[in-house]
Amino acid sequence: MKKWFIIFITIITVSAALVGCYGGGAEQSSGSDKGDSDSKNVKQEITVNAMTEPPAIDPAMATDTTSGWVLDHIFEGLYTRDKDGEPTLGAAEKVDVSDDGKTYTFKLRDDAKWSDGSPVTAQDFEYAWKRVLNPDTGSAFAFYMYYIKGAEDYNKGKGSADKVGVKALDERTFQVELNAPIGYFDSLLTLWTFYPVQKSLVEDNKNWAAEADGYVSNGPFKMTEWKHDSEVIIEKNDEYYDKKAVNLKKVTFKLVNEATTYYQMFKTGDLDLIMTLPSDVIQSEKDSKEYKEVPYYGTYMYMFNVEKEPFTNKKIRKAFAMSIDRDALTKNVTMGGETPAYGMVPSGANTPNGDFREEGGDYFKEDAEKAKELLKEGMKEEGWDELPQVTLTYNTSEEHKKIAEAVQEMLKKNLDVSVKLNNQEWGTYLDTTKQHNYQMARMGWIGVFVDPVVNLDYYLGDSPNNRTGWVDKKFDDLMEKSKVEQDQDKRYELLHQAEERLMDEMPFMPVYFYMNNYLANTDVKDIAYFVNRYPYLKWAKKTN
Amino acid sequence: MYIVKRFVTMLLTIWVIASLTFIIMKFIPGDPFASDADVLPEHVLDNMRAKYHLDEPIPVQYVLYLKSLVMFDLGPSIQSETRSVNSIIASGFPASATLGIQAIIVAVVFGLLLGIIAALYHNRLLDYISMVIAIIGISVPSFILAPLLINYFAVKWGMLPVASWGSFQHSILPSIALATTPLAVIARFMRSSMIEVMNQNYMKTADAKGLSSFKIVFNHGIRNAILPVVSFMGPLFVSLITGTFVIEKIFAIPGIGKYFVDSIFNRDYPVIMGTTVFFSVILVVTLFLIDISYRFIDPRIKLTSKGD
Repeated sequence: MKKWFIIFITIITVSAALVGCYGGGAEQSSGSDKGDSDSKNVKQEITVNAMTEPPAIDPAMATDTTSGWVLDHIFEGLYTRDKDGEPTLGAAEKVDVSDDGKTYTFKLRDDAKWSDGSPVTAQDFEYAWKRVLNPDTGSAFAFYMYYIKGAEDYNKGKGSADKVGVKALDERTFQVELNAPIGYFDSLLTLWTFYPVQKSLVEDNKNWAAEADGYVSNGPFKMTEWKHDSEVIIEKNDEYYDKKAVNLKKVTFKLVNEATTYYQMFKTGDLDLIMTLPSDVIQSEKDSKEYKEVPYYGTYMYMFNVEKEPFTNKKIRKAFAMSIDRDALTKNVTMGGETPAYGMVPSGANTPNGDFREEGGDYFKEDAEKAKELLKEGMKEEGWDELPQVTLTYNTSEEHKKIAEAVQEMLKKNLDVSVKLNNQEWGTYLDTTKQHNYQMARMGWIGVFVDPVVNLDYYLGDSPNNRTGWVDKKFDDLMEKSKVEQDQDKRYELLHQAEERLMDEMPFMPVYFYMNNYLANTDVKDIAYFVNRYPYLKWAKKTN
Repeated sequence: MYIVKRFVTMLLTIWVIASLTFIIMKFIPGDPFASDADVLPEHVLDNMRAKYHLDEPIPVQYVLYLKSLVMFDLGPSIQSETRSVNSIIASGFPASATLGIQAIIVAVVFGLLLGIIAALYHNRLLDYISMVIAIIGISVPSFILAPLLINYFAVKWGMLPVASWGSFQHSILPSIALATTPLAVIARFMRSSMIEVMNQNYMKTADAKGLSSFKIVFNHGIRNAILPVVSFMGPLFVSLITGTFVIEKIFAIPGIGKYFVDSIFNRDYPVIMGTTVFFSVILVVTLFLIDISYRFIDPRIKLTSKGD
């Protein structure tokens, strides 16, 4: 009897000891500080939802948008973005480009400093970039640096670090040599992979990026706390050269992954900004002032396997593409404000003549009658009396299922073709598509930086992404030419031609261009919504 | 002697579990480096595989793994590239365990109470009420109960925070949501076991001796009836303190529950192994402790390896 109680008491005591494990302990209770905020002196602190634990808050290792979101706030590269999202000089104050467009010489700002007060040097940049390329680092995004001379060899383990075309000429001068000129180098340099890291810090501590303690960065904010799987806190960096432009003192990235939960936290005021809204929430919030739609630089598409019947035939591929009512699909099924897509490159890429998409226009029209004709012609060409059974494969998710079912219905209705649906768990799915073991399969592609090249490169003959089996010399040549073209007008012209060729061959059919949906507290002003990144909070301020 | 023997068996069990998991894991199709941004040229992938020794033959990987396991090093996570599996478990386990222990306390206290009351009032109104509560507890899944709790206690009445982690208040709703099912199960177990015990001859003897009914119920009834519940408590305790995917996700709790599931989807081999080994260690140790605790609850049980 008594012993039984002892066990019980032990359990209770242990749990009491564990009460210390809640985390901070000193945290404010939710919502309690709302009433007493002085209207003139608003606490410049906001809480946003980043959904998942950032896998790597390390410029060399990050490959995902969540890590990128934090990195964009705490670091700054040679180029950064202005309020419109256009690349503008950041940690560098001046750049000289050689006449052949291959050598860039950057002059770093005198007042570019790390959050510990020490200067950001050209050596830091050199070290950071070579660290990305070092095969031992195992950086996934290293290939974004292959434009640099000697980079690919070094990363492949063939060359050496000394032969890589990045060099600190002195403390403030940083030189980059490219294999060939590229027209979008400034845009590329805003990618986090090109951010500097503090050489001494990284060399001394292998695990420097695992915790917030001792973390040093050079952006508008600095990371002060990282409670894994719970929250990341960044605070204003007083060493930042442009600190006058930064209003917020503190931003908390909460890591709440359940849609209903973060929506309720937004409703109770625990969160000031949430994204990835479930469709029922979009429906009910669509007209509220807090709702915001921002184009996301990506394309939702169905790939055709051109090695497998019936998609070996171009006309049949086109027939499928023309039988989908994208307007109905985006309005009634996805409902997040997505734009129907009739090309590969989404809106958002600015060219001297305006938006690339608008300039390029639509490459095909939905037309059930024409589609039926094309299907008939295609079957005749191949000598089929009956269309081989088509299976549409997608990765397991409610959202993709809804879309696939709608597409299935539309194909039945408009083309009189019955397709089977098949879904696979994501990891298995990637394997299946990589082995070209499908007929028609869903895929999404989001540009890491905004330039048509990123989207069109997807279907290069030797791109690891191109799982359609479609290899086209003409398309590859046009892309190749566009990459060395120095004249911007001509470069975009070549890209338009490449897209035209791609859409004419149609190894995939575009469905829609992505849209990001946000709910943002209307008291938070000047949040910058960029096309292909999460909201940038450098200039944001709280007004109430 | 018994304890030494048990200890060796424990180690063997863990080794078997680790080996089986390793083999099964290698059979899952896919690759930890395949992702949305699957633009990686083959040699970039080679660099990454080399970093995690995935370029070695599988038997070599297995030996390397066992080697580091003996050193209590569970390796680096592939998904969270800057963190080790040890640090993931170290930072996630306290939250999961806190929540699990609170839930266990709620479940045991109220479950036993409910079960005992039901048994004492067998086939009367209180029995029916208790069992209706228990059936609801078993049949309402936590992913329904949790949003309901949030909706009322946090959103409508504003008594408690919606989600997140940081104070005792944050842990109340998830503990309740987590406790409900085990509470109901314990109540039903306890009820049937108690009813059985109440009909035993020694209970009648105790009654005939003139003991107070309080003493009969506590000293003779509960003590005998609780044994089956205790054996069920072991696995329950382990599964609760090692975190639960659903509750931790809904309440945004920084526990380790999600790693058991996400690691498999991400093909994060070291995390799959790490969480499995961690779970089995805790399970095996707990079962051992439960075995010993029988001795205290019921002196008739002796701790011998032969069972004499």
